[in-house]
Amino acid sequence: MSNGTEFYFYEDRVEARGMDIRLLRRLLSYLVPHKGLIALALAGLLLGTACQLAGPYILKLVIDRNVTPRVLDGMAGRILLYLAALAGAMGFLYLQMFSVSLIGQRVILHIRTEMFGRLQRLPVSFFDRTPTGRLMTRLTSDVEALQELISSGLVSTVGDVALLAGTASVLLWMDARLALVVFAVLPALVLFVELLKRFIREANREKRRKLARINAYLQEHVSGVAVVKAFVQEEKSVRGFDARNEEYCAESIRLTNFYSVYFPGVELFASVAVALLLWQGGIRVIAGAVTFGTLVAFLEYAQKFYNPIKDMSDKYNILQAALASSERIFHILDMEVSPEYGPVPSGGEEDAGAVDAWGAGGARRAGPPAIEFRDVWFSYPKGGGEERGMVLRGVSFALLEGETGAIVGATGAGKTTILNLLCRFYEISRGEIRLFGRDVREIPRGELRGMISLVLQDPFLFSGTIRENVEAGGAAIDRAVEVAGVARFSAAWDGGLITQVGERGGRLSVGQRQLVSFARALARDPKILILDEATSSVDPVTEHELQSALAKILSGRTSLVVAHRLSTILSADRIIVMHRGKVRETGTHQELLAARGIYHRLFTLQFAGR
Amino acid sequence: MTREAIDGISAPGGRARVVRAVSWMVLFAALHGGFRYFGRRGMLVNASRVEMRLRRDLLFHVIRLPLAFFGRTPTGDVMSRLTNDVSAVWLFLGPGLLILAGTAISYVLALFFMARISVMLTLVSLALAPVVVITSREYGRAFHRYHRKAQESLAAMNAALQENIAGIRLVKAYGLEGQEEKRFHRACREYYRQNVSVSKTSAAFHGAIGLLAGIGVALVLLLGAWLVIRGRLTLGGFVAFNAYLAMLSFPTMALGWVINLFQRGGSAMGRINEFLGIPAEPREPSLFPPRKVPDAPFLEVSDLSFAYEGQDRGEALRGITFSLRKGEIAGLVGQTGSGKTTLFSLLLRLYPVPPGTVFLEGRDVSAIPLDEVRRAVSLVSQDPFLFSDTILANIGFGRDVPDEEDARRAASMARFLAEIEEMPGGMHAVIGERGISLSGGQKQRATIARALCAGGELLLLDDALSAVDSETEQEIFREILSVRGGRTVLFSTHRMASLSRCDRILVLEGGRIVEEGTHDLLLSRAGAYFDLYSRQLLVRELEAAP
Repeated sequence: MSNGTEFYFYEDRVEARGMDIRLLRRLLSYLVPHKGLIALALAGLLLGTACQLAGPYILKLVIDRNVTPRVLDGMAGRILLYLAALAGAMGFLYLQMFSVSLIGQRVILHIRTEMFGRLQRLPVSFFDRTPTGRLMTRLTSDVEALQELISSGLVSTVGDVALLAGTASVLLWMDARLALVVFAVLPALVLFVELLKRFIREANREKRRKLARINAYLQEHVSGVAVVKAFVQEEKSVRGFDARNEEYCAESIRLTNFYSVYFPGVELFASVAVALLLWQGGIRVIAGAVTFGTLVAFLEYAQKFYNPIKDMSDKYNILQAALASSERIFHILDMEVSPEYGPVPSGGEEDAGAVDAWGAGGARRAGPPAIEFRDVWFSYPKGGGEERGMVLRGVSFALLEGETGAIVGATGAGKTTILNLLCRFYEISRGEIRLFGRDVREIPRGELRGMISLVLQDPFLFSGTIRENVEAGGAAIDRAVEVAGVARFSAAWDGGLITQVGERGGRLSVGQRQLVSFARALARDPKILILDEATSSVDPVTEHELQSALAKILSGRTSLVVAHRLSTILSADRIIVMHRGKVRETGTHQELLAARGIYHRLFTLQFAGR
Repeated sequence: MTREAIDGISAPGGRARVVRAVSWMVLFAALHGGFRYFGRRGMLVNASRVEMRLRRDLLFHVIRLPLAFFGRTPTGDVMSRLTNDVSAVWLFLGPGLLILAGTAISYVLALFFMARISVMLTLVSLALAPVVVITSREYGRAFHRYHRKAQESLAAMNAALQENIAGIRLVKAYGLEGQEEKRFHRACREYYRQNVSVSKTSAAFHGAIGLLAGIGVALVLLLGAWLVIRGRLTLGGFVAFNAYLAMLSFPTMALGWVINLFQRGGSAMGRINEFLGIPAEPREPSLFPPRKVPDAPFLEVSDLSFAYEGQDRGEALRGITFSLRKGEIAGLVGQTGSGKTTLFSLLLRLYPVPPGTVFLEGRDVSAIPLDEVRRAVSLVSQDPFLFSDTILANIGFGRDVPDEEDARRAASMARFLAEIEEMPGGMHAVIGERGISLSGGQKQRATIARALCAGGELLLLDDALSAVDSETEQEIFREILSVRGGRTVLFSTHRMASLSRCDRILVLEGGRIVEEGTHDLLLSRAGAYFDLYSRQLLVRELEAAP
């Protein structure tokens, strides 16, 4: 499937576009709540810069007033002043660095939480077509890029500009001609830095990409080591690694080469600048046009001058990357939430009252069917492959309250889709799905979720304890763990119900995970229980226990089950035979066998041994 | 030369002296740049090569470690040694040594010239150096510690996110959105807290180090100025001294960092060596390889008991004894935890097999070279693990060079070929995040094709068709059985229709074989197998059906 192609095109477009004022403004709006901290950072920055600029000037004073005329008067005071300026600069530096990073961290905490909240409410189809890795990148790297922008971009750019402007004006004020000497080296330096940085950036990106490839390869071969061993392919694994490893090494060497030119080159420029300054300055000192102190101060200022210039091209790069990231972030934040999170269409209200009254009456099978599909047509939303046709084609069936319905059919017949639609994970194309007489689209989300318990084909658990996992389903924990047989196996463990299940439940066996997911489904005492082939990998004994326990709790509760197991099918009140998106047969086991149709064929195939 | 220039300024005929000194300066700077270029390149390139070798050798070793090692070592740990630890070694060997060398050179040269200018000033200026080194080392440590914590909380945050995305249907179905948001927010906050610690430390360090440097400069200034006033030092000497001092400030700071790199690199190398010290699976061919015994059964297991090391669950297998003739098809049934997977793993010698318990064609497998055992046996495990490579590379994984014809044949036997051909790229389609994502059933059939393509004479199927519908399972079995002459098959399944086809059924319970025989024989015995069978099939309902 062409997963998330949308995103690919999207990213390309962003790279090409570059700056966008609207985007920048929206980004800045996240800074508004932190006005106080920003003021603090800016204050620290400006005062720090002022203190930094004062240093060399005081040095000049020491030289001109004390050293050259050889007097000690006031020297200690000046040096103390120098120290004070430095202490001030450092104190303000601390203040500024810390508050800036605090702002950055707070903003991304906010954005990340906001994104996660939005993600929770996006339609399931979004997750179908977007690879997990890409979503992870949105919430990690892209958000980090913003943090980078705030921490080392926005505020320190202001700082750099202040420092540059400050230094330039002090230099011009002290001696305009010498200042021009300092500036003379700039264009060449900027050109050199800009040129090499471009290569370095590209090589760095390439190196990171190669490292990611290495890591992905390692990860895969470490987790699949049993397969490598079983097929005696250790050599091949290492060979495959060699190629990637060498590529990475070559890329690192390329980067090293660039850096080996870059660092000494920048230093050479600085030396040339100092030499020029000494030459021109020396001549002017001899001519008596400037003092010694001024020359020494110039030497000091020159250093402060070149650093921000070296960083400038990085800053622009950070800004570009952050804008691209923020566009991707806002794209997620701007996505429309799944319709079920929106308001319920009017008209649902009276219906709800009517159903409640009916529900309270409790007269079995007196009212409308618990689950009813009326001519439902459905195709999975676009993006998951172009030529996907209708998955359901006019499906109609009804299940009365308290009945167990079993959906059978070959893979791809649309069995799981029916369950997905019942949970309203997707919106249907045509037709109606009614629960207790109400259209699912008119049932508020909270109420719908409260009615239904779902057990997925893959028994997914969240990391945490068994108890927490069951609790996620509802409050009736004790009964649920008892009935589902979770209590039985967990009792043998030290932790009992508060045993950690590990990531995705990995510390439990597949069978145990299944049992816990059953308990979770039972814990909310649902009106409707939905099971998707959940029993397929439990061994017969465990399954039997579970089935008989389920039978108890299922009585009086509507349930819809996708199952391959005979016992499940046999105990169903109604069997719905699906074939290629259509309901082909419905009825009880006996009725269907007698009809000698698809069901009869499936049945004899599966249980041919007898 | 700065001194020369500045002194020249104040001396008679200074102009020429200034120009000469400045020219020398430029020349020296150019030479210095050249040396640095070659030094830097030479050392870093070398370090990158060492890093590459180290990573390769480590993988080479790790991949040959026994499976039990991977059972007790989390993947994350193995990964971190293969990636972070190797990088830490590089960081020391490359930038670390480079800076160390640079520092040493700067120190020797600068101190030499500084001492020539003024011994007293040199001593004063060195007074603060130890404090700077210690401060930066401590900072390096603290930074590293906080940084690691931050990385850990980042990993936790990522795990929470990934789990949430993977379980999004459940989140929605159970209305857990709010709860999940809280959970994620907690993880984010923790990450935030760690990051704030990191930046607090680093801001404090930068402030402190700047202040220390400032104190040093002020001290030198005070004393230097006094010396100049007293006429014991020239002005040029004074300025040059300051310049030398400035040259030393970075190496002094870096020294603390290098010490820290050295410590980290050392402990990383220690962790790497720890892995390198674990003995790999023995795979040397034995001096006297056992001979095949002509009339021996193809597979014979005799009184095989096995317990996983370091687990007090007791024995996973107890006194397993059975044998299979060449070409025989045997089924293995038993509930979860009865020891089926353990038995399969041992037949492949994925765990050490006690001598004298498992024989292939009369040869004790513990004496046959490991590679030979594993080539003779093809396993399809419960968990259908595939590599993110082409379908062809996956199916042909057991061969040194995958052959497309063979792979197609195997795929066709596994009832997978038709679906492969519908995929864009066919056999060359890439499986994985950017390629094709396979369904559970497709993955299982791909792993079966892989085993068939590898061509082992003993085929082991460990519940390998659970996600395939029963019709397809029957077809696959028919295919496998049709070439039965060459292959011996042992498989586990819950599906009775498949079991009824095999020559023999072994029933495992609690690590023991409790029943053995044909389907009909076992049913007639009304024992454990019959129980399993009747529970699953609900025979009574079947008989009631018309």
